[in-house]
Amino acid sequence: MGCPGGGGVTLPRAIHGKPAWCHGLVDTAFGHPAGGDDLTGLLRPGGFGLRERQAARPAARSPLPAARSPLPGHEARPHLLADGPQFPRVFNATSGALFYAFLTHCEQVFSPALQSLLQAYAKFSGAPLIVNTINNCRRAPKGDLPVLVSEDTVVSQPAKILNFLRRQKYNADYDLSAKQGADTLAYIALLEEKLLPALLHTFWIESENYCSVTKPWFASRIAFPLSLYLPGKMSREALNRILLTKGGPPLYSLTEVEAQIYRDAKECLNLLSKRLGTSQFFFGDTPTTLDAFVFGFLAPIYKVCFPRVQLQEHLKQLPNLCRFCDDILTCYFRLTVSGHSPAGQDTADANLQKLTQLVNKESNLIEKMDDNLRKSPQHPPRKLTTLKLAAGGEESSPMSRLSP
Amino acid sequence: MRIKRDCKKMEQEIHTSFIFSAINILAAEPWPENAALYQQLKEEQILLSDNASSLAVQAFLQMCNLPVRVICRANAEYMSPSGKVPFIHVGNQVVSELGPIVQFVKAKGHSLSDGLDEVQKAEMKAYMELVNNMLLTAELYLQWCDDVTVEEITYPRYGSPYPWPLNRILSYQKQWEVRRKMKAIGWAGKTLEQVLEDVDQCCHALSQRLGTQPYFFNKQPTELDALVFGHLFTILTTQLITDELSEKVKNYSNLTAFCRRIEQQYFEGHEKDSSTTAAHSSKRSLLR
Repeated sequence: MGCPGGGGVTLPRAIHGKPAWCHGLVDTAFGHPAGGDDLTGLLRPGGFGLRERQAARPAARSPLPAARSPLPGHEARPHLLADGPQFPRVFNATSGALFYAFLTHCEQVFSPALQSLLQAYAKFSGAPLIVNTINNCRRAPKGDLPVLVSEDTVVSQPAKILNFLRRQKYNADYDLSAKQGADTLAYIALLEEKLLPALLHTFWIESENYCSVTKPWFASRIAFPLSLYLPGKMSREALNRILLTKGGPPLYSLTEVEAQIYRDAKECLNLLSKRLGTSQFFFGDTPTTLDAFVFGFLAPIYKVCFPRVQLQEHLKQLPNLCRFCDDILTCYFRLTVSGHSPAGQDTADANLQKLTQLVNKESNLIEKMDDNLRKSPQHPPRKLTTLKLAAGGEESSPMSRLSP
Repeated sequence: MRIKRDCKKMEQEIHTSFIFSAINILAAEPWPENAALYQQLKEEQILLSDNASSLAVQAFLQMCNLPVRVICRANAEYMSPSGKVPFIHVGNQVVSELGPIVQFVKAKGHSLSDGLDEVQKAEMKAYMELVNNMLLTAELYLQWCDDVTVEEITYPRYGSPYPWPLNRILSYQKQWEVRRKMKAIGWAGKTLEQVLEDVDQCCHALSQRLGTQPYFFNKQPTELDALVFGHLFTILTTQLITDELSEKVKNYSNLTAFCRRIEQQYFEGHEKDSSTTAAHSSKRSLLR
């Protein structure tokens, strides 16, 4: 976890979220959360400001390596970008290249956690990162998500994405000592071992949560036949993972396993709270990789409103962790954006905006790539934006459930 | 009605006081002389990961100054309450795996981590998870998912106490279980190089954390030291198909010095004990 030396390069320190030279662009890329109380605000509503940027910087897009198998819609991306809600772009001023980040579901780790994690890291280190939401994971370069695409390089796993960002000199750990770097790795392992099973359980296995929140959330964004199958599949995989890693003897029934994983998760939250103490971030005053990871894991627990919330309640009893999440959300994700709708919009517009953000958020949280999906016939890209925006009625009910 | 309620209350009180006194009795029971630690057969059967776990528990008990005999049984895995070795048999209690053993020993009044403050305890737990997450999983990967190692080392060793075809069946069954678990946590797609890289990263982190100190937390060893010793010593002294794994650890001189120090302090002092002679002989033994 040593910091790669910048050799005198001054890294754009992300004290306030973004380096100056990509101010205007990153703003719109990171979007602004309308309510700020749910994770939908983390996402960039797709169509805003897209066209003017595209007009401003035409054709600087570098093609992705031809070695990958051609994906549907890949060649037509510029058109897709023009239509869909999904692909605002940002340009890295130093290299003139495009950074794309296709962030969608990752097969190993829970996706909202990952997504918040990667976005948080990008913000901390000042990397100009765009969140591209795709609802069809076959369009991702490797089919394995989340994926960071930069010029010719495609990086597909979160740890590798972080390493890649570091090598590109977007390093949030620049000031850390070697020992603190080692601590980061250890705490990340702790999070994955102790907190992740409970997170998976809350989202995917707890039946009330799953049926009332997670499943409609995901299913609403996936194409019809898959929406009946994929959420169930992800739920089964989460259960499988928990039972295989935690469910050996002497725990024989699911309730015992559940009790154990929630105990572990609460202990983990207590340990994090003790480690954080009263300081603002885990290592001093500037955020680092560990802060990104912890935020990534805590934010879904903290913000998403579930019917069964024992972990959230426990988290709320640890005021320093709540304060930590809130600080990051206010400093790094609630940017006042120029070029967005004016402050004095009426409630309908606000709801619409929230809705678009929610929908784009959902499209990030979707499916995992799987061989069956690759082999199945390709579906044409759907213009879901117009569909969703029109269907205000039925979408508002999950919306109201989700917004506090 | 009131009588019923009173009776129930009394019953509960008696119940809780009984439990309380039982716990007190258990906790107050001193460590017996005949405590035993069970693992698989050392020379023929035990595998890398099990050896590491067993050595970690032995080191921990030595550090707590609690005597324990090491008994090797071919069916140790099946005797264990959680299916994992090692397990200890103390009085009429059977406890397996390092985590529960540490808690059990703590209930008996011996603890290595009492002197740590809250933040250090959090760090210790985090590092223990790191070792379990990376080192133990890498060992399991190497011995069950790497085809060459599986064919030449694991299959012959794992089922060695049993006749054909039972030895093959048990090996396949275990391999299937481990592969399922690897797939669930996402390690199935990793190549051996990636796994070795992870091991390197883990050792780097441990080396950074250890620095120039004798133990991970000041001058006193803790269960983290026992765990790290168990894994690193086993990796360093076990001969596999290639030496890549031990080379990764040997790159960090403070880790090898750490292992040597603990070995000298806690194992060489008990020459008569069979466990220490086994620890020595594993240096020279071939696991083939």
